[in-house]
Amino acid sequence: MTLVHATSTLPQGWIAAPVPSARERVLVALSGGVDSSLAAALLVEQGHDVVGVWMRLHSAADSVDAGRKSCCTLDAADDARRVADQLGIPFHIQNLEQEFADAVLEPFVASYLDGETPSPCVGCNTAVKFGALVGKAAAIFTCDAVATGHYARRAMREDGTAWRLRAAVDKEKDQTYFLHGLDGEALARARFPLGEMTKPEVRAAARARNLPTAEKPESQEICFVPTGDYRALLRERGWSQVPGEVVDVHGEVLGQHEGSAAYTVGQRRGIGVALESPRYVSAIDPRTNRITIGRREDLERREILLEGVRTPEGELVRGATLRGQVRIRHRGSLASGTLHGEGEGRARLQLDTPLWAASPGQTVVLYDAETLVAGGRVARGASQ
Amino acid sequence: MAERVFLDGAAGLPVRVEVAQRMAELYAEGIANPNGGHVEARRARALLDAARHAVAGSFGADAAQLVFTGTASEALALAFHSEVRPGSLLVTSAGEHRGARTLAARHAAAGGAVRLIPLTDEGYWALSPELFHDIDGATALLSAASGELGAIQSLAPFISSWRAAGGGAIILDGVQRASSGSIRMNIGIDHLVIGSAKLEGPVGVAALVSATDRKLVPLVPGGGQERGRRGGTEAVVLADAFALALRLSQTEEAETAAHAANLGGAFDHALGAPEQHGLRTTGPRDSTARLPGHRSYAADWVLGDDLVAALDHEGIAVSTGSACLSGSREPSEALQACGLSTSAAQGGLRLIFSRTSTSREPVVAAAALARVSERIRVIGAAQ
Repeated sequence: MTLVHATSTLPQGWIAAPVPSARERVLVALSGGVDSSLAAALLVEQGHDVVGVWMRLHSAADSVDAGRKSCCTLDAADDARRVADQLGIPFHIQNLEQEFADAVLEPFVASYLDGETPSPCVGCNTAVKFGALVGKAAAIFTCDAVATGHYARRAMREDGTAWRLRAAVDKEKDQTYFLHGLDGEALARARFPLGEMTKPEVRAAARARNLPTAEKPESQEICFVPTGDYRALLRERGWSQVPGEVVDVHGEVLGQHEGSAAYTVGQRRGIGVALESPRYVSAIDPRTNRITIGRREDLERREILLEGVRTPEGELVRGATLRGQVRIRHRGSLASGTLHGEGEGRARLQLDTPLWAASPGQTVVLYDAETLVAGGRVARGASQ
Repeated sequence: MAERVFLDGAAGLPVRVEVAQRMAELYAEGIANPNGGHVEARRARALLDAARHAVAGSFGADAAQLVFTGTASEALALAFHSEVRPGSLLVTSAGEHRGARTLAARHAAAGGAVRLIPLTDEGYWALSPELFHDIDGATALLSAASGELGAIQSLAPFISSWRAAGGGAIILDGVQRASSGSIRMNIGIDHLVIGSAKLEGPVGVAALVSATDRKLVPLVPGGGQERGRRGGTEAVVLADAFALALRLSQTEEAETAAHAANLGGAFDHALGAPEQHGLRTTGPRDSTARLPGHRSYAADWVLGDDLVAALDHEGIAVSTGSACLSGSREPSEALQACGLSTSAAQGGLRLIFSRTSTSREPVVAAAALARVSERIRVIGAAQ
């Protein structure tokens, strides 16, 4: 698997984001985890005027037992508060439940019910952390910048007129995939103090500073699905599970499934059909409540239609062409390809080598060297 | 840290210097468990007895009628559990604070009946004859004044109607009015809850004063302390400090109230019409009818917690007034009961001037509130 970009230098005319020379007022989004804790500590050490904020986004995790801590429980808020106390910075809890419900939860549920594979972290970063929170930072705390513990960097056009995301030094942890929705204005205000560090370095630095969160385990699940079972959330939100047909690529019925929203393209387990070689979900049609399964090679795509495509400067216009390295899942391998703008946010992605299991709704990003130049979603019916 | 302006006294004031000094002296002296058979224990017992006499006496009660508790919430719960039978009728108001609301909600959840006294748009009880129908054996759980809205209730009309209709015990939360001198047991109440923290005394001590004919059922049985009504070693120094804080606050009541009211007036003057800042006054319109120095507002364009955070950032300590969990966007039930919309009831703000507030504070606070409102509204409108 290739995680590393073909060239690690910046594109012509782009430079690494300069280190701010003046003291800034920065709001840091503390999750209660080690990454954002260290991000805050570094900003304080650099002499910035830092305000710590923990965001209350939903109550999904409140009742989950302590063994499955995620970033969104009250325990996490307590951890964030302890870090702020140790750093001597103000700490506030900000309620963004409404913004989160509108931009993340509702679209997540709708997307699954529509047979798609949503990327909720993208909506959260775009609309909540670097959307509503940026507004609150300015209005409530007079902060011009918002920092997070994301593994990402920023690049700036030499003349200072434009910004792009740049992959983090730690290629295993790079989170630019989830941040692609940040436009130039948001990037100008974003701060990623961990972009030049590896995860082991972050742990070591947190330990060296005795941060109370230094040993906290990684959170892997979607924060609002702390049990890992998103189907339970769909049921809570009114999904009535109706069994339907499992068919092969020729339309022949092979079995029954438990309701199409319970499946994801690329899924192998739990299909309930036993054949001589492995089969994967290759398409989901919520209208006919039908799931198509195929061999591994049936899920390979050389061309993918995208929607909601944006560049840091705005929409990708019709006729525009971008060449670069493509990623269709977080930490997924990179493949060379060309993006052809078709207007209204739509684009056709042509790949030099096929990519596997592109699911409608899934986020796709394109890098030029290490900088992110476009991102969007796989369109419905796009890859079939 | 830049100089802070503390305007959240309705939630608790810092311990006043005289009281803190007295506590330090007693702790330095070393106060024993008052239940022993030696000189040291008798010294402690004497202090406790004196405090009990003093506090009970302030409300027209004998020492034997008073139980020291850890908090006012505990005192409220002790009276509640002693009086309210499962399945009975509880009469309370729509403007009670969270401690009382939680008790009422639990009573309702266990099958009891709860009758809410509605509020006027200014936060006063809206009494009507129906409230007093079939109240035989019912219990009333009410606050003498609303810390959130600043409304001081007139108790006499309620108490006389309640008694005339044969109502049961009245539990009165007098925490916000303990220093006023207006609350005594003989106004017709059965239980009175008072606390130390809002009198510039220490947190961790409060009291329940009960009529002589009421029997208390202990929440903590313990070793027979407080005449078997609350187990656990008595907090002698805290009780002593509570009594001192109460005495000082009652002695200086007129002076303190006038000072706080003056600063409230100066704040009104400095702020100008609240509407120009997008705020509406909540609670009594006549500021002289409020808790002295108390001001409360609501905004429908911002969460109260956000206003509190923004003012904190400007050096001003205030509160939403409804003791919600931090980070919750639950609307204030009291504000809703006054007829405010859900969004306005999420945007409550309360501040209160107190004895130690200085004459510059109203001006500084008003300027900060105006600045913050302007900033949040401009940025909010731009989004």
